Amino acid sequence: MVEVQHVTKRYGSLTAVDDISFRVERGEILGFLGPNGAGKTTTMRILTGFLPATEGQARIAGFDVFEQPMEAKRRTGYLPETPPLYPEMTVAEYLRFVARINGMPPGDRRTQVGVAMERTKISDMADRYCGKLSKGYRQRVGLAQAILHNPDVLILDEPTAGLDPRQIIETRRLIAELAGDHTVILSTHILPEVSQTCQRVVIINRGRVVAIDTPDNLTARLQGSQTLYLQIDAQGAEALATLEGVDGVASVTCVDEHDGIGGYEIESRQGDDVRRELSRTVVTSGWGLLELRPRQMSLEDIFLQLTTEEAPTEAVHPGMVTPGDEADVTVEDRVDE
Amino acid sequence: MSNILALAQKELRAYFVSPMAYALFGFFALLFGWFFVASMNVMLQFSMGQFGQGGPQVVNINEFMIRPLFGNTAVILLMMLPFLTARAYAEEKRSGTIELLLTSPLSDFQIIMGKFLGAMTLYGIMLAITLIHIGILFWYGDPEWGPIVSGYLGLLLMGSSFISVGLAISSMTKNQMVAGLSTFAVLLLFWIINWVGDASGSTTQTVLSYLSILEHFDDFSKGVIDTTHVTYYVSFIAFGLFLTAKSLDTARWNG
Repeated sequence: MVEVQHVTKRYGSLTAVDDISFRVERGEILGFLGPNGAGKTTTMRILTGFLPATEGQARIAGFDVFEQPMEAKRRTGYLPETPPLYPEMTVAEYLRFVARINGMPPGDRRTQVGVAMERTKISDMADRYCGKLSKGYRQRVGLAQAILHNPDVLILDEPTAGLDPRQIIETRRLIAELAGDHTVILSTHILPEVSQTCQRVVIINRGRVVAIDTPDNLTARLQGSQTLYLQIDAQGAEALATLEGVDGVASVTCVDEHDGIGGYEIESRQGDDVRRELSRTVVTSGWGLLELRPRQMSLEDIFLQLTTEEAPTEAVHPGMVTPGDEADVTVEDRVDE
Repeated sequence: MSNILALAQKELRAYFVSPMAYALFGFFALLFGWFFVASMNVMLQFSMGQFGQGGPQVVNINEFMIRPLFGNTAVILLMMLPFLTARAYAEEKRSGTIELLLTSPLSDFQIIMGKFLGAMTLYGIMLAITLIHIGILFWYGDPEWGPIVSGYLGLLLMGSSFISVGLAISSMTKNQMVAGLSTFAVLLLFWIINWVGDASGSTTQTVLSYLSILEHFDDFSKGVIDTTHVTYYVSFIAFGLFLTAKSLDTARWNG
């Protein structure tokens, strides 16, 4: 349904997107995961025909977005990062306008607008001015606008950004519902989001694809060495030494010490599950086991791991200007380390 | 065509929902009315001035009142129309709604024509207000309608030129203030472009005079429709719209 082949986008000497290729099948939800400035928005803008690619090809439902833009655009629904609303229009007027410029016949417009408002649960806001809506509603009107003309492909740029937790859950549910008849590409920088909504994930960093896989496979791959967080009511050198002595433990770092309670990060060797051994040791040492859990992998950890795994020879030169991630502090930090 | 109309309607709505349209209409009507009264007084004085030769004379209302009035209107337009066009693209670029237009199945041509038509309609309504004043002249006097029609045609053409320049400049920036100010400066430059001509040789003078945007209007207000002037304005409009197209395209390539 969507085919991206060797797409590159350069702004002068800056390479925002560097030789990206992937495919999305009909009915699939593809997650685009990456830090800010990784090239997610640029890739989406190329797919929607907003930006032309410097090199490479992108097809939507078989139509090249550059050669046959009208055909491709007719089949695409797009929610940009900021919902493109006209503050002076009411929600219903706005959606009717979008229906009209999408070439919908006059008879269908009213019903389709009604359907889209129903699906995004904004029917009660129909007569409100877009400029007066809350962030959550703006986002939903943006989504209604994207699904309005029943496009084959939905491209959603950070659809849950700025929503409250309840709205996030509702939006995810809606996206999952939509996936049946639409192909969905959504971008996010929130890790749990992809594992909950998407069937496949493209991880992108500095304009390059780092990994394409199902969320489960990715998690499995990333669990090669596991980091555990352990909290016990003991601290000091003795506790540290005892923990290090546990079979299968590679390293122990003390991350937190207060009121006689110690928090430790424990790295295990590849493939070893040390949780049983650890808890036994803690108990036999006479300490209280307060907490033991796998540490949540943050996005940065994943990048760190994937980038070193995929390209072990590619050294990161400190001070080198790397395009595409000016806005991303975490990646910068890592470069400095 | 339906798309162009949809966009034009959207533009008009934006003008009328905001105080923009009302401010434009109100101040335009005020200024035009002021000039109307002023020109009438000048005409009356001139008419009374003929006393010595045997009482007030009937003076040519077209020559002594309508023509200067049209001339003054041209100057009001030069100052007001930049504000009408400033927001057209700049606001869409600032708020990101341009992304909606450029990712919808609309051609650049449709977008440009829709915006142009929207602005032109607003301008048309603005001009229509002045028909009231002209109507008064017909009620009490007996002006010739020929020069009035040609004068309106001139105003329409000249205003369209202003609008097309304004739209082109608006498409180059995200900032309405910058768009409005630059448009005003450019139009002013086209007005005074021949003022330096006198000392710089006859060829330069001819070229600069030809470029001057108000110079071409004069004949219209006299009642002469000269194809040279029509051609000038039409090329001016076409050039402005062409620039807009190029600017949209460039913005796309440069992100």
